[in-house]
Amino acid sequence: MRPVTDRDSAAWWERVRAGEFVLQRCDSCGTRRFPARAYCHRCRTAGWSWEPVEPAGRIESWIVSHQPFLPGVREPYVVVMVRLADASECVMYGNWRCEEPPRAGRRVEAVFTAVDDGLTLIDWRPAG
Amino acid sequence: MAGFRDRTAVAGVGYTRFSKDSGVSTLTLACEAILAALDDAGLTADDVDGLATHRVGDSAAPSVVGPALGIREPAWHLDQFGGGSVSHAVIGQAALAVAAGVARTVVCYRAINARSEFRMGGTGRALPVSPEVQYQAPYGYVAPPQQYAMFARAHMTKYGTKEEHFGQLAVRQRASAVKNPRALMRTPITLDDYLASRWIAEPFRLLDCCLETDGACALVVTSAERARDLRRPPVLISAAAWGGGDSFLSGGGGDVTVTAAAEMAPRLYRQAGLGPAEIDVAEIYDCFTYSVIVQLEDYGFCAKGEGGPYAASGAGVPVNTHGGFLSEGYVHGINHVAEAVSQLRGEAGDRQVDGAQVALSTAQPGYILPATSALILRKG
Repeated sequence: MRPVTDRDSAAWWERVRAGEFVLQRCDSCGTRRFPARAYCHRCRTAGWSWEPVEPAGRIESWIVSHQPFLPGVREPYVVVMVRLADASECVMYGNWRCEEPPRAGRRVEAVFTAVDDGLTLIDWRPAG
Repeated sequence: MAGFRDRTAVAGVGYTRFSKDSGVSTLTLACEAILAALDDAGLTADDVDGLATHRVGDSAAPSVVGPALGIREPAWHLDQFGGGSVSHAVIGQAALAVAAGVARTVVCYRAINARSEFRMGGTGRALPVSPEVQYQAPYGYVAPPQQYAMFARAHMTKYGTKEEHFGQLAVRQRASAVKNPRALMRTPITLDDYLASRWIAEPFRLLDCCLETDGACALVVTSAERARDLRRPPVLISAAAWGGGDSFLSGGGGDVTVTAAAEMAPRLYRQAGLGPAEIDVAEIYDCFTYSVIVQLEDYGFCAKGEGGPYAASGAGVPVNTHGGFLSEGYVHGINHVAEAVSQLRGEAGDRQVDGAQVALSTAQPGYILPATSALILRKG
């Protein structure tokens, strides 16, 4: 299912497509935030900049999805929830790119998966 | 908040039959349940001056139901967008409208064809509840059972909660449904049945998940004073609370084993002037087994991390006496309130909790959107 981007998020998806792992950093208080939005939830100011951060984190949780929620997808697949190394308040989801099952607390790194010319997704695998 | 406590009441309850294929529209279901609730209260549609519901684009709005029942002049109505987390807020809003004198008789309803028409997350379509969906749907993470399974796993990891705890809860709720003539699932199950049921999204099996139900339920909310003159024993609304918290969809948030209910519960209890020890029966939003376990902690019935063993033992507060969404049927929150009313009226038959005076009823605790709501009801 392709992401339905919006006016807050489109630039973030463009960065992902270019292979960049970035978060917003508040120009006023320095808080990093994800997903993309206009105002800082901590100091409520509007100025921000993209900041490259380590494309890494730890597995907070994971599931193995069996029910065919997506049309045409019959095989089980793994979704992981990753707490980011450089932003402990932020989590990202992605598919698991490893034969071995995930384990809570395991260090992981991002994998950029190019779906087509217009879309790249972020997946995860054990940190190398 | 003493100005709100016990000033309003639930004076009538109505249901349609629960099924997997109602064969009728949500408008028809809504009308049937509303008329049944009014009849229960000894009122007619001519007495109604307010209508309220919650929905996610899947049901009949008050602006459709009102004219269909010939309610010519609704003084107040609420068409709340949202899922289970707002289910109890709708009734709280109705009570506020009555307490404020804006409306006199409000019917709250939820009508849903959740199996035959609009399956939540079961269609490969993500509900457009939040812009954050875009960060999950591309990974095939689209449905509530997947989302709750993710948080359940985190709780298992952190506190040692076991699949058998989930299973024992499902077994006990089924045993309650066996005693409930309305319930869809009335065949007893065992822990082995639970463990043998197929995976939906590990760690959840089929029997961790609520039913998908066609049906409707309605409640008549009016002033406590007026309710005393109506047909049925009044059930007072002692407290109604709304809560927010962290979003765990994509960003923000710390401990994923704590829900929005944890921050809200003290406010709810303060409003009612009592605490968890005074709750005689708890109807706890059970979209999944885990949602009950985490709420037993967050509403203060047991310590954080002990919800699994507490729920499995069955030794604490009676929970989901109707069988819950797991076994009675899924009417998106409102049938929990209706069961609490039945218990406080003392008319719950074989599943009656002896001497029930105070009930807690809760909404979805806030993982999917950072919001929740709950009610405390008291025998009038």
